[in-house]
Amino acid sequence: MTTESTEVGGGVKSPPTTTAPSILTANPVVTLASESQGLMGERILDVRDFSVDYGWGEKAVRAVDGVDVHIDRSKVLGIAGESGSGKSTLVYAITRLLRAPGVIAGGEARFNLGPSEEGERVIDLVQASEKELRSVRWSDISIVLQSALSALNPVVRVGSQFEQVLKTHRREMSKRERRARSAELMEMVGLSEDRLDRYPHELSGGQRQRIMIALALALDPQLVIMDEPTTALDVVTQREIISELFELRSRFGFAMIFITHDLSLLTELADEIVVMYAGVLVERATSRELYEAPRHPYTLGLLNSFPPMHGDRTELSGIPGSPPDLANLPNGCSFHPRCPFAMARCSNETPSLVEIEASGRSVACWLHVGDAGVVVPVELSRATLSNASTSEPVSKVAS
Amino acid sequence: MSETETSVQLAARHLTRHFTMRTPGRIFNATHIVRAVDDVSLDLVAGEVVAVVGESGSGKSVLARMLARIVTPTSGDLVLQGSLIAVKSKRSLDYASQVQLVLQDPFASMNPVHKMNHNLLRPLLIHGASKHDAPALAEAALRRVSLEPPSRFLESYPHELSGGQLQRISIARALCVQPKVLLADEPISMLDVSVRLGVLNLLRGLCDNDHLAILYITHDIASARYIADSIIVMYAGQVVEQSRGTSLVDEPTHPYTQLLIASVPDPSDPTKVTPPTSERTQVEIAEKGCRFAPRCPHVMDRCRQEEPPAFIVGEKHTSKCWLYADHQAAVEMAPSVRRKEGESATT
Repeated sequence: MTTESTEVGGGVKSPPTTTAPSILTANPVVTLASESQGLMGERILDVRDFSVDYGWGEKAVRAVDGVDVHIDRSKVLGIAGESGSGKSTLVYAITRLLRAPGVIAGGEARFNLGPSEEGERVIDLVQASEKELRSVRWSDISIVLQSALSALNPVVRVGSQFEQVLKTHRREMSKRERRARSAELMEMVGLSEDRLDRYPHELSGGQRQRIMIALALALDPQLVIMDEPTTALDVVTQREIISELFELRSRFGFAMIFITHDLSLLTELADEIVVMYAGVLVERATSRELYEAPRHPYTLGLLNSFPPMHGDRTELSGIPGSPPDLANLPNGCSFHPRCPFAMARCSNETPSLVEIEASGRSVACWLHVGDAGVVVPVELSRATLSNASTSEPVSKVAS
Repeated sequence: MSETETSVQLAARHLTRHFTMRTPGRIFNATHIVRAVDDVSLDLVAGEVVAVVGESGSGKSVLARMLARIVTPTSGDLVLQGSLIAVKSKRSLDYASQVQLVLQDPFASMNPVHKMNHNLLRPLLIHGASKHDAPALAEAALRRVSLEPPSRFLESYPHELSGGQLQRISIARALCVQPKVLLADEPISMLDVSVRLGVLNLLRGLCDNDHLAILYITHDIASARYIADSIIVMYAGQVVEQSRGTSLVDEPTHPYTQLLIASVPDPSDPTKVTPPTSERTQVEIAEKGCRFAPRCPHVMDRCRQEEPPAFIVGEKHTSKCWLYADHQAAVEMAPSVRRKEGESATT
């Protein structure tokens, strides 16, 4: 049973048209990692060839297309992308929080529950039943949502919301212990205990987001997913919360997936960054590499979209055009209508994510792949961008 | 009138807005006053962008709404092209056509059940364009914001367009009535990162080519530095620091501005550390003395007692902080406006 195949296409809410192995027959449960699947080791989450659709059949819109991401213990993975790039959809689908019409169209998401006496326990979140998910959620994977006001129950005091979590997941705790733990969690995020008796509307946006973080950490999870946790906050509060998060991470050693559209924030705090555009990964690199030498024209454009805080004021161009409509994607590379480097090939063939450096650095762009399929490292810089925009690109297709 | 005098399109003097709020948790309808905007003066000059930077709750949007005369000031004066406006009276149609406001959320600022045609023609017809001329004027406005071909956009509904396109149309709608002043309240914060610069460059272009006076309200100090000719930093309803050019960002003097700038993510400096604030979470606003005192790392006794005036800390650069008490206090901002005020008072 441990070698049970986890074939692609096995979404729980799979569209009826595909031949999905039913959850009843597949019965993946928690398996011990076997040689055939590969041991996970330090890897805590391994997502392979993951696709998500909105809608069924003919009208299905592919929001996430064949994405591979993975994260190691105590690391920070940044997912960058604009609205509609599929970054939130990806993590909601991985954690199985995605609601209809969103459906997992394929792929696997193996989560490492840690070693046990028999070996490494691994769960495929895509195949897991609600009951199994319930045991993993919050205690192993927790999530902090963008809007704390809508994530907290507005008619219940903050303290009771801590109570509910602890009561459900830690049955053995007494009422007194639960209260003590809640106070301890509040103290961890820099709030005083008396805030537990407040309602969410009585607190500021920054305080609510701290409470969300405290709640997410209530059961010592191994992986915390942050979905734009600071987007609704002003920069000063954002900075305070980020530095607090990192202090907590060094104390408790959880891994983090950090989703944001703010690439300049990510380059500061993530170990590794993946950039998404129109549902696919276009680049994966360590944050230093990404900042110093972006390889995909979209990444370069994004980095150039943030006006600098020092130096001369020069006119920046951002990225021309608008983000694509997922229901009506251009042929070939989805980015080519906006790309200053577009070639004839880009409008016909879709580039796949290829590794260009041994460090695992990958990019999905024809600039880096020669005709013979050989990887050619191409330096992109602000200078090459301005050259490219002055000379007319070959066969640029208007959207 | 000299060249410099005519160029000030809209001047605000000592604009103040207080809101009376019910105090929560008290019986007998106890109230307290929230000083949303306190004694703010500024000049909007043709061909220049003035940026107002502040966090949520700093009063920057109330300021924009007072300038657009949607919110009535508690006190203070507005001077539009040299003539004093009776701020307590009803806004005239002429004022509305001179001063236009562009809002943050482009999705919410268009009527969703009508095509752009309707959304753009309505202000034109209200402001007296004939039915015959209006469509051509709307098309011209769309061309000014680089939406080509205009006919395609006039025939679309708001949901068919992207955020960036809708925000351009919002700007076009404001431009339809040939305003002299454009007030942009966080025009890019709801847009995708990759299209933000396009909208900023558009605003800058309108300023340079069409000599519009633009007020750009934002919480993003980097974008203010990118676009603005002068920058104003607001905290708790007051102007704490202002400068001509970017000297405020390059050499911030007020502790709040310093905190704001240190908080901006800066990937070019990976070793950056957060400066300490004396209180981690409580954002208190002092009732007495300097409003930033409870959070200020340099707080002194004097700060808790007396409110600091604005001190001149550099060329056209003032800072409202007792740290600069040995500098000369700024009396009034631009001399040309003083003349203007005197002039409008006599007429």
